[in-house]
Amino acid sequence: MDRRNNRRDAEGSSVITANRLLDGRIVWLAADGEWSPFIRHAHVYSNADIEDALKQQIASAQDNELVGVYGVQVTVTASGPVPITSRERIRAGGPSVHPDFTPEWQEHPAVSPA
Amino acid sequence: MSHAPHSPLPVGHYAYDEVDRTFLKQRVAQFRDQVERRISGALTEEEFKPLRLMNGLYLQLHAYMLRVAIPYGILNSGQMRALAQIAQRYDRDYGHFTTRQNIQFNWIRLEDTPDILALLADADMHAIQTSGNCIRNVTADQFAGAAADEVLDPRVHAEILRQWSTLHPEFTFLPRKFKIAISGSPQDRVAARFHDIGLMARNGENGRPVFEVYVGGGLGRTPIVGVKLRDDLPEEDLIAYLEAILRVYNEFGRRDNIYKARIKILVQALGVDEFRDRVNAEFVAMDRARYRLDERIVAAIRARFGVPDFDPAGQAAEKLAQQRKADRAFDFWVRTNTHAHKQPGYVSVTISCKPAGGIPGDVTSSQMNLLADLADQLSFGELRITHLQNVVLGHVRQDKLYGLWQTLEQNGLGTANVGFITDIVACPGLDYCALANARSIPIAQKLSERFASPDLQREIGPLRLNISGCINACGHHHAGHIGILGVDKRGEEAFQITLGGAADQDTVSIGQIIGAAMSEDETVDAIARIIDTYLARRTAGEQFIETCRRLGTAPFKDAAYATA
Ligand code: HEM
Ligand code: SF4
Repeated sequence: MDRRNNRRDAEGSSVITANRLLDGRIVWLAADGEWSPFIRHAHVYSNADIEDALKQQIASAQDNELVGVYGVQVTVTASGPVPITSRERIRAGGPSVHPDFTPEWQEHPAVSPA
Repeated sequence: MSHAPHSPLPVGHYAYDEVDRTFLKQRVAQFRDQVERRISGALTEEEFKPLRLMNGLYLQLHAYMLRVAIPYGILNSGQMRALAQIAQRYDRDYGHFTTRQNIQFNWIRLEDTPDILALLADADMHAIQTSGNCIRNVTADQFAGAAADEVLDPRVHAEILRQWSTLHPEFTFLPRKFKIAISGSPQDRVAARFHDIGLMARNGENGRPVFEVYVGGGLGRTPIVGVKLRDDLPEEDLIAYLEAILRVYNEFGRRDNIYKARIKILVQALGVDEFRDRVNAEFVAMDRARYRLDERIVAAIRARFGVPDFDPAGQAAEKLAQQRKADRAFDFWVRTNTHAHKQPGYVSVTISCKPAGGIPGDVTSSQMNLLADLADQLSFGELRITHLQNVVLGHVRQDKLYGLWQTLEQNGLGTANVGFITDIVACPGLDYCALANARSIPIAQKLSERFASPDLQREIGPLRLNISGCINACGHHHAGHIGILGVDKRGEEAFQITLGGAADQDTVSIGQIIGAAMSEDETVDAIARIIDTYLARRTAGEQFIETCRRLGTAPFKDAAYATA
């Protein structure tokens, strides 16, 4: 993973992200250890504490069917963590040029019963 | 196994036979096995990554991205429908045509990839050589086999190069990727001098083709205009000479530093004379008989390309002239979006994939299906993807143009802007690309809206505007008359403007950065002021690039940074 995206200030807080191996989609590590497509579920670590958690997650990436595990610095807001870089905001929200392709977008929308 | 295709031959297209098809099927089976081993954990990501890249599969920001090869930009209608099917079934209903005449799908799932490759193989397509340090898809003139000014059909030689380079044992691990472009006309429509090797064909004294050979051009971090190695390479030596160039590159190209690994750096480091001497030394030492490109081989490859069965011109030209007179909007479209054909009664049509405010190069599955239908009805089932992210119907009868234009208009594909300021080239940028600094698409959309007025665009005249989201220059920003480069200012997007680049004229040049980076909206305003400056200061009939060369960048820079 590009080291530039895994940069953190000494102070501040971060969340942990990855891409799912099977479909490549972006996920965020939640407090219960599950990986969620929504950054609002992400557990926020202080930058002082994140290194150990990251190390552990990188080691278990294969078991969790994940690739490219890294940390993303965020600002914590009322609606949840918001990444400080535009790149990570686009990862969290979907491409800005397709407002419908948010993380809520489903590959196979539920078919309504006939 | 026989090595002979079934008839009828696809027009403009090399016909695959059972040998080719069996090879593709084996590749799909091999990749299916690799994907299964990756999912089971038998292969680690480090082991798997080079294998998936060899099959065109990248991991981008939001998902996997699959880059499908479109050899020399030519598709038949069935292949376009296969792409539409992939977009619809496995992606989010669209694809992105690229400046390397390929298509990229942005939302691919790893699990689905073997099935997608199988679907492609059924349409004689694949994603091989779209990634990695190999010889990439050879690009060719989008008016090949049609243009009035053409000397030879470059697709035949592009196919010969494809066969020579595919899986060439010596060239699967070059120091870095290697891109070849070939033009069959004296007019450079392929940006020959911005490629690792650029070839320009013309007829030699004995009526056999000869090639001008350029080497060491490229964009990216270190933009360089290619230098001429040979003026008159005979056709029979084409393979031997290119092989010699690649051997020199393979031996002396740098492998220690990815930023210095392209052949352009080697050519600059050695100097063109020393580089040429080394190529010539390799060339004379080679078993030339073995590499000789015999006339009969060329003829055999040419025979695998279908040729259009043209109708007599009849009254086609007169009918078109009347229709143009009767409908002004149609007339404007004909002026910008058609190109002279060598066959009386026919033209080539460039279909703009750049509607006002649209995403350059993005095409939906229903548009792909429509394009395939139109190709069947009007252009012998053949389509071309251009390196400027548009689609070409090569051979349309002049009296069919009006109906074609009306259908295109109704489906968002009738924009009359080819070669104008809104015919923008843009890479995927930060909306999709893992390497990006800034988004390329939103700024392209804002500029496209800003200059959407057809009258204003015609007033401005020919102008190439190219946008890349980072220094890799996939959007050819240095080659744009106006270029935009996305940079990263401590995590925020910003843009630099370059001026004076050109790829397609007698004077090839690299655009120069005019100053500090600005925000997206500031950049759009700055470009509007640059255009105002041009309109105010041009002499009669002077195009933007000419004014730029005459005045230099200073007045434009002043305008760009002038604040109200
Ligand atoms: C989204 C995934 C992409 C990635 C990761 C990527 C990566 C790169 C990189 C690393 C370079 C620089 C190579 C060098 O200077 O040695 C490059 C150059 C280039 N790429 Fe891309 N690219 C992507 C998409 C595209 C697209 C969509 C196009 C076509 C629109 C494209 C066409 C080119 C071209 C024309 C160049 C510059 C010409 C040259 O090789 O000198 N790439 N790309
Ligand atoms: S120029 Fe940069 S941002 Fe654009 S596609 Fe290439 S690598 Fe990505």
